Amino acid sequence: MIGNLVVGGLAAGCLYAMVGIAIVIVLNITDIANFAQGEMAMITTFFAYWLLDDIGLAWWQAISIAAVFGLAQGIIVQQVVIRPLIGSPVLSAIIATLGLNIVLNSLAGLIWGHQTYTFPSPFTFAAPFHLGGVAIPVASVVNIAVGLAIIAGMTLFLRATWMGLGLRAASQNQTVARLMGVSITKSSAIAWGLGGLVGGIAGMLVAPAVFLDTNLMGALLIKAFAGGVLGGLNSLIGVFLGCLAFGVAENLAGAYLSPSFADAITFLVIIGVLIVRPEGIFGRVKVRKA
Amino acid sequence: MAAVDIARPLERRASSNLTAVSACVGLALACVAPFALNGYALYLLTLAEIFALVALGLNLLTGYAGQISLCHAAFFGVGAYATALLTTKAGLPYLISLPLGALLTTMIGAIVAVPALRLKSLYLAIATLGFGVVLQKIIFEWRSLTGGGGGLALGVPTIAGQELGATGLYYLTLAFVVLGLWGARNVSRGRTGRALMLIKESEIAAASLGIDIARHKVMAFAISAFYAAIAGGLFAYLVRYINPESFNVGLSIAFLSMVVIGGLGTIGGSIVGAVFYVIVPELLRGIKDAPGLVFGLLLVIVMVFMPRGLWGVMRQLVWKR
Repeated sequence: MIGNLVVGGLAAGCLYAMVGIAIVIVLNITDIANFAQGEMAMITTFFAYWLLDDIGLAWWQAISIAAVFGLAQGIIVQQVVIRPLIGSPVLSAIIATLGLNIVLNSLAGLIWGHQTYTFPSPFTFAAPFHLGGVAIPVASVVNIAVGLAIIAGMTLFLRATWMGLGLRAASQNQTVARLMGVSITKSSAIAWGLGGLVGGIAGMLVAPAVFLDTNLMGALLIKAFAGGVLGGLNSLIGVFLGCLAFGVAENLAGAYLSPSFADAITFLVIIGVLIVRPEGIFGRVKVRKA
Repeated sequence: MAAVDIARPLERRASSNLTAVSACVGLALACVAPFALNGYALYLLTLAEIFALVALGLNLLTGYAGQISLCHAAFFGVGAYATALLTTKAGLPYLISLPLGALLTTMIGAIVAVPALRLKSLYLAIATLGFGVVLQKIIFEWRSLTGGGGGLALGVPTIAGQELGATGLYYLTLAFVVLGLWGARNVSRGRTGRALMLIKESEIAAASLGIDIARHKVMAFAISAFYAAIAGGLFAYLVRYINPESFNVGLSIAFLSMVVIGGLGTIGGSIVGAVFYVIVPELLRGIKDAPGLVFGLLLVIVMVFMPRGLWGVMRQLVWKR
C-alpha cells in the first residue's frame, strides 16, 4: 500500500519536476515566472496528437517532431513577447505571460474545441513491473525514467557544454557574463527554447494518464511552482527533489490524513518549510548588497 | 539625480492636476451612471467598483510595499462569507456585518503576514497561494456553517428596513470606493506609504532608517485584506449566491493583473485596471469564438507597450504636453 503510494507520488512528482525544470531554467536567466509554461506544453501536446491522429505518424516520430516544435515555440515566444520586455518591471513580464496563457488556451480551443481527446500511449496495455512486491505501472516507470534522463541531461548540458556554461554565467551575473562575451538575448532564447522542450515532454507524458483537453496543464503548473519553491528555485536538483517530495507528500496526505484536505495539507507543509528555510530546502541564500 | 529632484515638483503638480480632474470627472460620471444604464451594465459597473476596491488594497501591498500576494481571492471570499453569515445567521444589520466581517478578515490577513515576513518574490507568491488554498478549503469543508460546495444563496440586503436594490447597492459600493480612495491616498502619501516604498526599494536601507519592517509588512497585509474583505461583503450581495469555488487562485491572479495593468504603485491605476479587467471582456463578447484570444492579446500588448501600466501612460501623456 505505502509502496504503491510512494511510487505513484514519485511518478507524479517527476511530471511536476519536468514542468518545474522548464520554469526554473527560464526563471533563473530572465527572472520571469512563466505562467504560460503550462499552456505552451498543452499546445505542444495537441500538436503531437495531431501528428499521431490526423497525419498518422508512428508515436516516436510524432513525439520527436513535437519536441522540436516545443523548442521552436519557446524561442518564438521569447523573441516576440519577452524580448521587448527586457528592462521593464518583472511583474509586467509575468502578467504578459499570463496574457499569453489566455491566448494559447483560447487558440487551442478555437482549433481543437473544448472537448476531451484520448491521447494514445504505447504503454497502456503493457504488464506492470514488480519490484519487491510493489506493482509499478509501466507509465510510472516511463515518467520516472524520463524525469531522471531530463535532470541528468540538463545537468550535463549546464556543466559540460560551453552553451550551458554561458547560461549559468548569465543567470549569476548578467553584466559580467556580457563582458565575457555571453550574449544575454541568445541565452534567454536558449532558456525559453529548453523550457518549451522540457515542458512539452511533460505534456506528452501527462496526456495519456488524463484526458487531453485545453485545461491539461492548469493544476500541474501550480504544483510545479510549489514543488520548485519547496526545493529551492536556484538549484536544478533542488527543484527536481522538491517536486518529487511534493508528489509523494500529496499522495500520502490524500491516503492517510484526509483526501479532501490533501492540497491544503501539502501547502501547509510547504509554508512550514519556507518559514524555516525561506529559500527552499536546497536553495542557496543569495547575498545581496542594498 | 539633481535634475530629477528639480523636475519632481513640476511632475507632481501636473500629475496631481490630472488626478484631481479625472477624479472629479470619474465621480460625476459614476454618480449619474445608474440613470443611463440598463440592469446588466449597472451590474458590471458595480462589479468593476468592487474589484477596484480589492485592487486599491492590493496595490498598497504589491505596488507600494512590493509584496506579491496570491491569496487575495481568499480574503475576498472570507469577507464575502463572513458578511453573509453575520447577516443571515447572526441576524446583524448589513451595514454592521460588513465592517465586522472585514475586521475578522483583517486579523486573518495579519496572521498570514507573519510567516510571510521572511519570504520574497516567488517564494512569497507560493506561500500566499498556499494560504489561499487552505482558506478556500476551510470554507469548503466547514459545511455546517458555510453550506460547503453547495454555496450560499442570499436575499436582498436591507439597510434600516429599506430593501437595497441594484441602484442602492451601486451607490453603497461607490461610497466605499470613494472612502477607499481617500484612505489609500492618505496611507500612500503619509509616513506609512513612504516607509512601504522604501521597504520595496531596499529593506536594509529602510531598517537602518529606523523603519520597523515587520510591523509595516503586517500592516500592509492587514490593510489590503481589509479592502478585499469589504469588497467581498459587497460582492456577496451583488451576486446573491456565493460558492467557495469562485474564490480560487485564478481570481487572485486576476486581482494581481488588474493592479499591474493599471499601474503598480499608483492609486488611479487600481481603478483603471479593475475597469479594464471587467469591461473589456464584455465589450469583446460580441467577437465570435474569440473573446479570450483578443483579451489575452490585449493583455500582452498592454504589457509590452506600456510596462508601467495604463495609468503610467496616461500620466506621461499629460506631463509631456
